[in-house]
Amino acid sequence: MTNEQNDPLIRISNVNKFFGDFQALKNINLKVYKGERIVICGPSGSGKSTLIRCMNRLESHNDGQIVIEGNELTDDIRDINAVRREVGMVFQSFNLFPHMTVLKNLIIAQRLVRKTSKKDAIEIAMNLLERVKIPEQANKYPIQLSGGQQQRVAIARALCMKPKIILFDEPTSALDPEMINEVLDVMIDLANDGMTMICVTHEMGFARSVADKVIFMDEGEIIEAAKPKDFFDNPKNERTKQFLKQILTH
Amino acid sequence: MNIDLNLIVESIPEMLSGFGTTLYLLIISGFLGLLLAILLLLMRISGKFYLDFPAQIYIYIFRGTPILVQIFIIYYGLPQFEYIQDSMFWIILREPTGCAILALTLNTGAYVSEILRGGVLAVNRGLIEAGSALGMNARHRFIYITTPIAIRIALPSYSNDVVSLLKSTALASTITITDMTGIARTIVSKTYAPYEIFVSLAIVYMICTFIIQKFFGFIENKMSNYTKIDSDNDK
Amino acid sequence: MEALTGWWDDFFWGSKVVAEVFIASLGLTILFGLIGAAAKLSNSKIAKKLAAAYTVIFRGTPEILVILLFYFGLAITITSIAKIFDPTVKFIDIPPFWSGTFAISLIVGSYATETFRGAFLGVNQGSIEAAKALGMSQLQLFIYIRIPEMWRIALPPFGNHMLSLVKDTALISVIGLNETLFVAKQAITVTGKPFTMYIFVGIIYLGFSSIITLTVIAVERYGKRTTTVK
Repeated sequence: MTNEQNDPLIRISNVNKFFGDFQALKNINLKVYKGERIVICGPSGSGKSTLIRCMNRLESHNDGQIVIEGNELTDDIRDINAVRREVGMVFQSFNLFPHMTVLKNLIIAQRLVRKTSKKDAIEIAMNLLERVKIPEQANKYPIQLSGGQQQRVAIARALCMKPKIILFDEPTSALDPEMINEVLDVMIDLANDGMTMICVTHEMGFARSVADKVIFMDEGEIIEAAKPKDFFDNPKNERTKQFLKQILTH
Repeated sequence: MNIDLNLIVESIPEMLSGFGTTLYLLIISGFLGLLLAILLLLMRISGKFYLDFPAQIYIYIFRGTPILVQIFIIYYGLPQFEYIQDSMFWIILREPTGCAILALTLNTGAYVSEILRGGVLAVNRGLIEAGSALGMNARHRFIYITTPIAIRIALPSYSNDVVSLLKSTALASTITITDMTGIARTIVSKTYAPYEIFVSLAIVYMICTFIIQKFFGFIENKMSNYTKIDSDNDK
Repeated sequence: MEALTGWWDDFFWGSKVVAEVFIASLGLTILFGLIGAAAKLSNSKIAKKLAAAYTVIFRGTPEILVILLFYFGLAITITSIAKIFDPTVKFIDIPPFWSGTFAISLIVGSYATETFRGAFLGVNQGSIEAAKALGMSQLQLFIYIRIPEMWRIALPPFGNHMLSLVKDTALISVIGLNETLFVAKQAITVTGKPFTMYIFVGIIYLGFSSIITLTVIAVERYGKRTTTVK
């Protein structure tokens, strides 16, 4: 279910990224269309986190172009801020602001960046808290919440900015097993509503059922990209097959 | 060896008359020093070499030399130059109190700026990234994320520095200021009873230290509310 | 600058005194710090209370006051004690070098107590348990496991303690120790150039501070050689 007639929302062309001498991304080419759900998987150090962090300029690429919604990502701070307004991010370690209540976490960026009024910001925030099913936690501090609850708040926080795209950087990797599903449920809900998502994850069940495209990365390169059915049942590349064998047999 | 308790009792009121001076030195130098420290901090974290480097040199010099030497340079040393005496600063620099406050301010500013910098560096990088991802600019991130957390982290070290500042005010007695130590030394030179006088003076300082520590402990407690799982915040 | 002519010698000997005080007080500080830390970490209530009193007293009292107290007070005490044995004793003078060194060692030692205590507590519990499981004695555990990890943790804050020791030496000039600040005061009465002299003293102390800081950095690097992954 992708919109291939329109222009891609994200266009990544010939991107290379170096950390000193180490090349983290090698000639990455990727197009993401509106409404697509992309899952990126691969071993540690494959560059998957680096790739999505380049999409909101938390890392900067050395060569090539990254164009998001027509805005090219450069060193210009105005370009960067323009992109960050439309691209939300959910982190592995949640990164909720510990010194603010849940509600304040949700409204601070709305007020500072979108200049929303306090009343409207609170309304938006409470609606989203309802959507992630924890409205009663609004006045608690992050430390009082479980990991699963914190991550759901983090998703709500990103959604408060009404982004066009959400990036997920291993959102469930830091969670105890029993809390993973409550977060995945929220993400599935989001996907069903048509949100464009790029998700770095090890949760293959999620990939199989929700993704439009699964991308396998290794050593900085995109090795294989296919629809889930093709990816899991008929992997073409040797390295992909190796990886799948390692993670699917426990 | 006789301990003359009467002497202690008689001297305490006299010594306490110096308490006002001590307090005055502490508060003024502490406040001005904090302002200076914030300026130095901003210079250090600005990322601009022409701001960072001079700040580093300043801090290096003022943390690497004894504060007594700094006091002497300002009080005894500056009058060596005629143009200092002619300048508008002379009103401050002529008085020992002004010199002491200047020296203490310059000194504590250097130490506190490093304490603040330690707090800023200790703020979890992920939180800053979250702020960036939400579109907050550098100014927003510094004011709403970094500063509140850095202050809480730096508070214990800062309270230690305030105690150090209190102890440094005693050095003002070496340039004729009649703070508590200055008065005590005068009494000792008259009565030849160093034990009694200095021990009572030490006790007074220890009580002041205790008060400062309790005060900061209280503030630390209030600021750390959000780090405790069962805070009284639930509505 | 010419004002310094003729005084180079005196400043040199003054610097030598600073170095001597540093070495003497360094040893005593480590000693007091270890004793204090041991007391605080022990199971004895009395030891803990005494150590607590020690840290409260010497961290809460201005250094100059401790120095004055030791210099005058100690002389009186020792004289009184000596009078008991030999009534003809008039006055025993404690040389400022030793009363000053002792005083600053006690002061910085109280800070070192907290630093060492924290460092010992910071030693990896897992290493200790493994050593016990392997059958090492308490002494072996202390020498081969606790100390090597502990000094690496304590080094950065202890570096600051060492800087304090050097700088506190200037305070001992107040009771007549002929280190550099004391020399400067004499030089000023002759040359009438207070700024020059005091700046020069500042430079000398800055030199000592720099040497200590660089040494600490070098030792930290040595410490990291074997404990961090390249």
